[in-house]
Amino acid sequence: MKLKGRAWVTGDDIDTDQIYHGQYLPITDPHEMAMHAMEYVPGMENFPREAKSGDLVVAGKNFGTGSSREHAVLCLQYLGISCVIAKSFSRIFFRNAVNLGFPVIECPGLSDTLKTGNVVEVDIDNGKITDLTTGESFQGIPASGLEKEIAGSGGLIEYLKKNAR
Amino acid sequence: MTIIEKILSRSSGKQVKPDDRVWAVVDLAVIRDFGGPNVVIEYEKIFGDRPVWDPSKIALTFDYQAPAKVSEVANNQRICREFAKKQGIHRLFDVNSGIGQHVLLEHGLIRPGAVVVGTDSHMNLLGAAGCFATGVGTTDMVATWYSGKLWFKVPETIKVNFKGKYSFPTTAKDLTLYFISRIGPDKPNYKSLEFYGEVINGFQVHDAITLTSMITEINGKIGFVPTNHQIFEFLKSRIGSAPEPVSADADAVYSESIDVDIHGLPPQVACPHTPGNVRPVSQVKGTHIDFAFIGSCTNGRYEDLSEAAAVLKAGGKVHPSVQLTIVPATIEVARKCLKAGHYETFLEAGAMVTNPGCSLCTTGHHGVLGKGDVLISTSNRNFLGKLGKGSQVYLASPATVAASAVKGEIADPGEFLR
Repeated sequence: MKLKGRAWVTGDDIDTDQIYHGQYLPITDPHEMAMHAMEYVPGMENFPREAKSGDLVVAGKNFGTGSSREHAVLCLQYLGISCVIAKSFSRIFFRNAVNLGFPVIECPGLSDTLKTGNVVEVDIDNGKITDLTTGESFQGIPASGLEKEIAGSGGLIEYLKKNAR
Repeated sequence: MTIIEKILSRSSGKQVKPDDRVWAVVDLAVIRDFGGPNVVIEYEKIFGDRPVWDPSKIALTFDYQAPAKVSEVANNQRICREFAKKQGIHRLFDVNSGIGQHVLLEHGLIRPGAVVVGTDSHMNLLGAAGCFATGVGTTDMVATWYSGKLWFKVPETIKVNFKGKYSFPTTAKDLTLYFISRIGPDKPNYKSLEFYGEVINGFQVHDAITLTSMITEINGKIGFVPTNHQIFEFLKSRIGSAPEPVSADADAVYSESIDVDIHGLPPQVACPHTPGNVRPVSQVKGTHIDFAFIGSCTNGRYEDLSEAAAVLKAGGKVHPSVQLTIVPATIEVARKCLKAGHYETFLEAGAMVTNPGCSLCTTGHHGVLGKGDVLISTSNRNFLGKLGKGSQVYLASPATVAASAVKGEIADPGEFLR
């Protein structure tokens, strides 16, 4: 499956309080969570209002470090973000994304030429990432094994229902 | 085999090796008043009134906002209480109890070798008790309540050998900050860590908790302090029988072995805005502070508060321009502090002492920071804006925080104890 959208580029070590601040934890409706996505990332205060369905988030190293809050994935998913590409992910964020069937692709070789506003195409089956604005392409690490099966089922609950306990 | 390999082999019923994906049987699944309500709502949305897999293996611990200060959280706590009642879950530790992991330990619910999941990224501090505990999101918890099992990737293990000794006012917190700054957040990503060395053999439970509680900050899966004599005796007294510690085999295979020289280590301070931005206190002393916080799952135990009390006794009053908040981890810790006379010391010094809970760490209670405010804290995170937009947070030991509160600027606790 191929995803195509505008990129929102952020730096290294974007933590879960920047993606979804602790003050919003009492919220349980994911549509409401979406209105606070990335709000604490400097320069991205307007992200929830300006991001369009199908846009992608492109990050540096260690994206999603910090809390186990699934809100950090849900807020992006319900805002309509199609995928997060990062040089590396923090483990809990990555796991929560797999469990929710939300595409995340690790790509250590991402280049800084990929800027906010560039149009990017991602093939989530083979991990190929193409910056259609510059013509550059990068090889990401596609999901495999159990993670692929879980994500491919639409998430952990669907997977468990299909594969009776 | 390493400790994590042994635990996941037992719980999955097969010999595992790093990078295997396994389905592990969960021994305890814990929700909090944050994250927990989402689990209940999601579980009922999908499974309705279907009984959970085993109500005796579920616990609820309310520590996020204790007691609730906004109606959304009050409603969320109610959702959790009602679910527990309906499902016959008896282990509900309400807002009068304290920080979840600490309450579970004190109540003897944590055994070496167990698999524990919870909606808290610092669940893995229970590696101090030799169990595999990990923070999970809503979906993982719903899946566990449904099936009693959860998938894991078997992590590789890094062996860490601490060389040398230090003495008070240097503490396990200083060792921890020094260690996480040395190893960085990349190398331990999704790895298990095992800690060895003379200083580790001498660790009390609270020291072990301080170290293992900050493995999350370097993206590690879990850190294990092998069960030494002191930890064994603590667990035995709480569980009510002799625990069965899990230790690594002599021929266990590690992804790497790291030596960390901590001989004569001075007190350390993590500067804004990452926990790994660590310097010796001598390089940051004199930095102005407005607020000080002693508590959290990292440094909220009786011994931590006793170290702060010793410095406050020697130093006298909290500086007039500083507000110091002290929060015991649990009600048991609070009672011990009361008996030891620490409340007298704290109140005499001008500190605020609150009821147990996560307090400032979750911006749940007991103060948030304004623009330009500077806090020195014994907690584990100093992320940008976590405690308020435009604020700055330094991390240090209870002794260093107490000394800084007295001086009104970051200070070396040694100054008060010589």
